[in-house]
Amino acid sequence: MAGAKTLDNLFKVDPPAAAKKVREMMYNIFFVEDHALHFYFLGGPDFVVGPTAPKGERNILGVLGKVGLEIGKEVIGLRKQMRDLMVSVMGKAIHPVFGLPGGISKPIKKDEQQKFIDAANHAVEFGEFTLKIFNDIVLKNEQYVETILSDAYTHKTYYMGLVDENNQLNFYDGKLRIVNPDGEEFAKFTGSEYVEHLSEHVEPWSYIKFLFLKNVGWNGFEDGKDSGVYAVAPLARLNVSDGMPTPKAHAAYEQYFETLGGKPVHQTLATHWARVIEMVYAAERFLELATDEETFSPDVRTIPTETPEKGVGVIEAPRGTLFHHYETDENGIITAANLLVATQNNAARIAMSVDKSARALIKDGKIDDGILNLVEMAFRAYDPCHGCATHSLPGQMPLAVRIYDSAHKLLRELKQN
Amino acid sequence: MCLAVPGKILEIKETGELTRSGKVSFGGIVKEINLAYTPEANIGDYVIVHVGFAISTLNEDEAKQTLKYLREITEIEMELRGENEIF
Repeated sequence: MAGAKTLDNLFKVDPPAAAKKVREMMYNIFFVEDHALHFYFLGGPDFVVGPTAPKGERNILGVLGKVGLEIGKEVIGLRKQMRDLMVSVMGKAIHPVFGLPGGISKPIKKDEQQKFIDAANHAVEFGEFTLKIFNDIVLKNEQYVETILSDAYTHKTYYMGLVDENNQLNFYDGKLRIVNPDGEEFAKFTGSEYVEHLSEHVEPWSYIKFLFLKNVGWNGFEDGKDSGVYAVAPLARLNVSDGMPTPKAHAAYEQYFETLGGKPVHQTLATHWARVIEMVYAAERFLELATDEETFSPDVRTIPTETPEKGVGVIEAPRGTLFHHYETDENGIITAANLLVATQNNAARIAMSVDKSARALIKDGKIDDGILNLVEMAFRAYDPCHGCATHSLPGQMPLAVRIYDSAHKLLRELKQN
Repeated sequence: MCLAVPGKILEIKETGELTRSGKVSFGGIVKEINLAYTPEANIGDYVIVHVGFAISTLNEDEAKQTLKYLREITEIEMELRGENEIF
């Protein structure tokens, strides 16, 4: 989707309204199923089952033990319904092939509209149900709430995300808004202006390029207004938004900020809650677009006529803001490409989160499996790309903990496997 | 970012609808993958895996095409570095 938007920008072409609506609808369908996967299969074991529950129960089976086997089947059923819709419109669910400069490859026929409305209603119901599970199991458990609010999982940083013309959340289009650690607007800009606002920092111990705010500067892995470290993804997106554009998600948004003490929310683990609220928004936005007649109009392409040169596209991926930037020769052959992917935005804060939780939770050399999981939770909340295989059955994140004395002599090493 | 590297299913453990899992090979690196989302997947099929879950099956032509692209990217990278042997 970021690639399609970049091609629009590269060929200086504005797609017809129907093409934009189809793209946005399909994108929200994708968000519903991706957020459902994260909540139930990846984050769920930490909160539905419990952060210090025995290792053998901290997986999807443990989640199902709490919420019921039927729910697991429902998650899989919903996901299948969403993916089938994606394949029918986009050709493929992963790396779809329907995006073209100036629109999409084919319209959705009017006689298919009811199928989309039915699926959207199902998604809204499922989103509300998931919110209820979060309320009943997580928020009513004092110990979990205490964990969410604890200082070990808190970082006061800047936040960035896409907003619409009312400064409310949008995954597909809008302007990027950055708020400072006090929640005040620091910058607002279009995707094409990203180079004026973002820069990359490198460290010898990582392959990742850590993004930071250029106009604040890189001042190390630090919290606060003087540090250019910022975050993206659900926690950040709610922090930069002045409310949600759909009613059910907005009600949940109000409850979220009221419970957590106002904006911005700095507690990393609140990301799971924010993700469920986003899932409700994605479902409601899907329904809005499915009931909009224009989504099913046959006018889905504006043919490009300009010579391409440079294009930038930006979207909110489930894991955060994603930029594509292509440059071409006059024949449209790419001469340069730059991708800033979601986890790069969060990378510095992820490193800080692991460091802080390890310092807060590992005391007097005591380490056990429960503590390792509590440390792992600090980065799992971000849903990082390099979290692949976390909580998969039966794989685990290959996390290693090395304990050194004050002279940097290795005392002990522990590994998850 | 989902790189969507296709993996080939080598073994399947039918332990239940939600725990169905299997060994999947990514160019020789074998990982244990949950197959609950792809009940249609069989041994020998190619799947795309995200965070330990197979999220989609691919037909063989599609998988081979993707693997070919990945190989071409590696070849270009080697050329740019002035090396000519991939392995």
